[in-house]
Amino acid sequence: MFTKEQRERIELLQGTLDLLILRTLLRGPVHGHAIAKAIEFNSDEVLQVEQGSLYPALHRLIKRGWISAEEGTSENNRRAKFYKLTAAGRRRLTVETSKWDKMAGAIARILRPAEQEGE
Amino acid sequence: MKRRERMVKDLEQDIRDHIETETQDNIARGMSPEDAHYAAMRKFGNVTRYTEETREVWSFVWLEQLLQDARYAIRTLTHSPGFAAIVIITLALGIGANTAIFSFIDGILLRSLPVKDPQQLVVFSWSAHARPKLTGHSGYGDCLNLNRDCSFSIPFFKTLRTHTDTFSGMAAFAGPLDYDFSGGGPARMAQGQYVSGDFFSTLGVNTIMGRPLGMPDDSPSAPPAIVLSYAYWQRAFGGERSVVGRMVRLNNISSVIVGVAEPRFTNLTPGNPVDFFMPFSVADRIRSEHWGHGDRISDPSVWWSVIVGRLKPGVSLAQAQAAATTMFVNETTHGATPLLNEADAPAVKLLPAAQGLDGETSEIAPMFYLLMFAVGLILLIACANVAGLMLARSATRQREMAVRLALGAGRARIMRQLLTESVLLSLVGGTLGVFLSLWGIKAITALFSSGYEAFPFVIAPDWRVLLFTVGVTFAAGILFGLAPALRGARIDLTPGLKETASSLPGGAAHSGRWFRLGSALVVAQVALSIVVLIGAGLLVRTLRNLHNLNPGFDTRSILLFGVNPAAAEYTDQKTAQLYTDLQQRFASLPGVISASYSADALLSGNHSSDNVHLDGAPPKSNVSTEWLAVGPDFFSTMRIPLLAGRTFTPADFASAAATNATVTAAADASAKVAGSAGPLNVNPSEAQAAPAPVIINEAFARQFFPNQDPVGKHMGNPQEDEPAVGPQPGYLIVGIAGNTKYNSLRSAIEPTTYLPQVSNSAHFELRTAADPTALIPVVREVVSRVDNNLPLFNVRTQTEQIEQMLFLDRLMSEISSAFALLALVLACIGLYGLLSYEVARRTRELGIRMALGAQRRDLLRLVVGKGILLVLIGAAIGIAAAIGLTRFMSTILYGVHADDPLTFAGVVILLTLVALAACYIPARRAMRVDPIVALRYE
Repeated sequence: MFTKEQRERIELLQGTLDLLILRTLLRGPVHGHAIAKAIEFNSDEVLQVEQGSLYPALHRLIKRGWISAEEGTSENNRRAKFYKLTAAGRRRLTVETSKWDKMAGAIARILRPAEQEGE
Repeated sequence: MKRRERMVKDLEQDIRDHIETETQDNIARGMSPEDAHYAAMRKFGNVTRYTEETREVWSFVWLEQLLQDARYAIRTLTHSPGFAAIVIITLALGIGANTAIFSFIDGILLRSLPVKDPQQLVVFSWSAHARPKLTGHSGYGDCLNLNRDCSFSIPFFKTLRTHTDTFSGMAAFAGPLDYDFSGGGPARMAQGQYVSGDFFSTLGVNTIMGRPLGMPDDSPSAPPAIVLSYAYWQRAFGGERSVVGRMVRLNNISSVIVGVAEPRFTNLTPGNPVDFFMPFSVADRIRSEHWGHGDRISDPSVWWSVIVGRLKPGVSLAQAQAAATTMFVNETTHGATPLLNEADAPAVKLLPAAQGLDGETSEIAPMFYLLMFAVGLILLIACANVAGLMLARSATRQREMAVRLALGAGRARIMRQLLTESVLLSLVGGTLGVFLSLWGIKAITALFSSGYEAFPFVIAPDWRVLLFTVGVTFAAGILFGLAPALRGARIDLTPGLKETASSLPGGAAHSGRWFRLGSALVVAQVALSIVVLIGAGLLVRTLRNLHNLNPGFDTRSILLFGVNPAAAEYTDQKTAQLYTDLQQRFASLPGVISASYSADALLSGNHSSDNVHLDGAPPKSNVSTEWLAVGPDFFSTMRIPLLAGRTFTPADFASAAATNATVTAAADASAKVAGSAGPLNVNPSEAQAAPAPVIINEAFARQFFPNQDPVGKHMGNPQEDEPAVGPQPGYLIVGIAGNTKYNSLRSAIEPTTYLPQVSNSAHFELRTAADPTALIPVVREVVSRVDNNLPLFNVRTQTEQIEQMLFLDRLMSEISSAFALLALVLACIGLYGLLSYEVARRTRELGIRMALGAQRRDLLRLVVGKGILLVLIGAAIGIAAAIGLTRFMSTILYGVHADDPLTFAGVVILLTLVALAACYIPARRAMRVDPIVALRYE
C-alpha cells in the first residue's frame, strides 16, 4: 500500500483523499495550495498527491455540504480561495476517522499477528 | 445552476493561483523561473483533466449527454428526410389508431360515472327464492350484466330515504321512457327519465343554466318542471339560451323547463341517453302507456325505479346492506298485501354503482376490446416495419459508428445515442398520431351516430389517454430502436473503417446477418397482418350472412311508423277505432298494396313476452312465449305464410276487444277492493269472456304441440301460486303462421303467439308498390286529417330498420376492414423495402451472375422467389396464430365458423397477390441490372 519510494505518485482512493482534506481543515480555513502542502508535509513526504486531484475532491465536498469556500488573501498577499469545515463536515470527519481507525487496526492485526500475540 | 457556473469560472482562476503559488515556492527554493513553472505544472498534473472532472462534479452529466444526443439525432435525421418522413408517418398511423381506440375504451368503459364521488355510490338490488306478486315491473337495462333485479317501488324508496343514519343521500330514477314532446319545434318523441327530488343534489350534478330539480318539485301539487340534458338542448333547441322558463307539452300536460344539465352528465347509466329529467310526481298526471293496473307512485307492488344511495362515512357496506334488507323484508312481507313470504328469504344486496349500472357498455365492450387488440397488432407491425427501415439505415452508417468507436466512445454511449434517435422519431410520430387520433375519434363517432340518434358517450382525450399515448410512444421507440442500436454498437472496427465496396454496407457476413434479421421482421409483419386480415374477413362474412338471412317475412318495400294515441288522450275503444280507420285509409292509398299494424314492428328491438298455461299441463306450470298483438291483414302485408287454420277476421277483433274490456273492468274493480278484508264480489255472470283468438307460429306448434294439430285447441291464462282474480278466458288457437324473426336477427326463432291488437300504441306497416319513402308526406297528411294532434314517430322503411339492427356489426366490419387494409399496406411496404435493399446490396453479385450467363428471368425468379418464400412462412405462422386467436371472436360471428377454411384461404391468396405486386419493382430493378455497370459498382 504505502511505499517510501521517491517520485512515485500514489493514487489515493477518492474517499481517502476527502478524509485527509477534512482533517487538514480541522484547525481552520486553508487555501487550496496550502492543503496540498499540508498533506505532503504531515505525511512525512510519503503522500505525494498530484495536486490537481485536490480540486475535484474539494468541489465534491462543497457539493455535499461538508466544507464551504470563500475568497480571501493568502500569506503572500495573493488572492486565494479558502476552504473551511462546516458543522456537518466536522461530524463527518469524526465518523470517518473512527471507521478508518477500525479498518486500519483490523488490517494491522492480520498483517502482524505475531506481535499482537506477544503483547 | 448559478452556483455551478460561478464555481466553474472561479475554478480556472483558482488553478492558476495554485500553480502560481507553487511556482513562487519553487523559485524560493532556488529554481529558475522557467524550471519553477515547469515543476509546478508537473506537480499539478493534467489541468484539462482536473478542470473537466471538477466540472463534472457539478453537472448532470446524463442530461448534458442527452441533449447532445438529441441535437445530433436531429442533425442526422434532417439529412435523410425521406427516411424520417416514412418512419414518422408509419408510427403516426400505428400510434394514432391505438390512441383513438383507447379513447373510446376510456370514455365508455373506464371513465367513472359522471357524478361527484362516484365510488361512494351504491345501487340497490334484490333477490328472493320466489317471484313477488307484483302488479307491475319494469327494467331499463340496469344491473343486467350481473343478472340481478334493480327495480323497486316508490314507497320502498321513500322508506329507505327516512333512514338517514345509514345513508347520507339517496336518489331514485326510472326510465328512459318515450314521451311526445312539443314546444321545441315540431312535435317529436323524446326520452324522459323520472327522478326523485334529491336526485341532482345526491349525485352532485349541476346545471349550466337555470336550476336543477329539487325536493319541492317532487310533490303532487308542484307545477311540472323538467330539466333538459345538454345534448338534447343542443339538438332540439339549437342551444338557445332562452329555453329556461319556456313551457312545453309532454303528452297531455304542460311543463316548464327550469334548467339545462351540465354537458358531462348524460345519464347515470352509461349509454342510455336521456333527453330530459322530470320529477316522479308527474307520473300520475301524465297519460302514457297503459301497462299496469296500479298507481305507480303509491302502489308498493309496482316495482319500476332504480335506487342509488351514498353510504354515510363510517358505515360499512355490510351494515348498510343488513339495514336495507331488514326494511325490505318488512316492506314485502308485512305490508297490506304481502308480496313475498319470509320463507322466500328476500334480501337486498348493495352493488357499487359503477358495476351495477352497466347500461349499453356490456354490449359494446367486447367490440372495442377486439378493436384494441387489432390496433395493438397494427402498432407491432408498424414497429417491425420501422425497425426494418432503421436496420437498413444502420447498415449504411457502419463507417460512422466505427469512427466513433475508434475515437473512444463507449458502446453504451453509442447505443444510447441510437436509442435517442428512435425515441425522437417516435415522439414526433406520436404527436402526429395524437392529431390523427382526434380525426379518427370524430370519424368513428360519426359512424356510430348513424346508428344511434346521438352517440350516448362523451369521448374526449384526457390525461389517461395522454399517459397511454406517451407510454406507447416510448415503448414503440425503444422496441424498434433496440435491434438497430445493438447492431450499431457491436460492429468490428477494422472492416468498418475500410472503405471498399465489400465493406460497404458492411461485408458479406454482416449484411447476411442483417438480412436474416430483416427477413425475420418481414415474416413477423406478414404473420401479424394475416391475423388482422382473417379477423376482418370473418367479420365481413358475418355481416354478409346477417344481411342475407331470411327473416321469415318479405322485407322489401315496407314503410314503418308509429303512432302514440296516449299523447292525445284516447281511450281503449277510441284507439281501436282510430287504428281501424287509419288502416282502411292507408290501404286505399294509391301506391299502397296493403296496410296493417302491430304493437311492435318486427325486428325493431322492442318485443313483448308472456306466459301461458297449456291445457293438460300440470297446474301452475307455465310456458313462456313471445307475444305480439297485430292488426288485420298483418300476415298478408308482411307476407308471412299461413301454414294451417286461418288469419284473424273482423269478428276476431270484436271478440278480442270485448274480452279485453271485460278483463280490464274486472281487474280495475278488484284493484279497488284490494286490501279489504271481505270476500271478493266478483259477479260470476259478468265474468264470462270468450277466449281470445290467437295464431301461433311454427316453432310454438312444434315445441308445445308435437304430433298434434294445434288448431282449435285452447290455452289458459298463466297460473300463479295465488288463485287468479277475475275472468280467465284463455286463448283459442285459430291458425299457425310461418316462423319469423321478431326480437333479434341472430338468435333462433322462439315460440310466438299473435293476437288481435285492441289497445296501446301501434306501429303501422305499409307494403308499397314502389319506394316507400315517397309515400311519407302522403301518410302524414292522412294522419293529420284524422287527428291533427297525433304525432308520427320513428318513420323508416323495414330495410332501414334492419340496417339499424345490424349497425354494430356493420361498424365492426368496416373498422376492422380499414385496419386490415392498413396492416396489409404496412406489411407490403416492409417487404418492398427489404427486397429493394437486397437487390441494391447484391447488385454486384447479380451482375456477375448475368455475366456468367444467367437470364433475366432467373434473376426475377431469385428476387420474387425470396419474397414469396418470406410471405409463405409468415402466412403459415399467421394462420397458426389466427386459429388460436379467432376462437375468442366466436360470440360475435354468425353463420361462419371461427376456423372457416374459406376465409383463411382467401386471405392467404389476397396477401400473396399483393406481395407479388410488392416484389414487382425490386424484381424489375434486378432484371434491368447491366452487368458491366454492376461489375464496376464500387
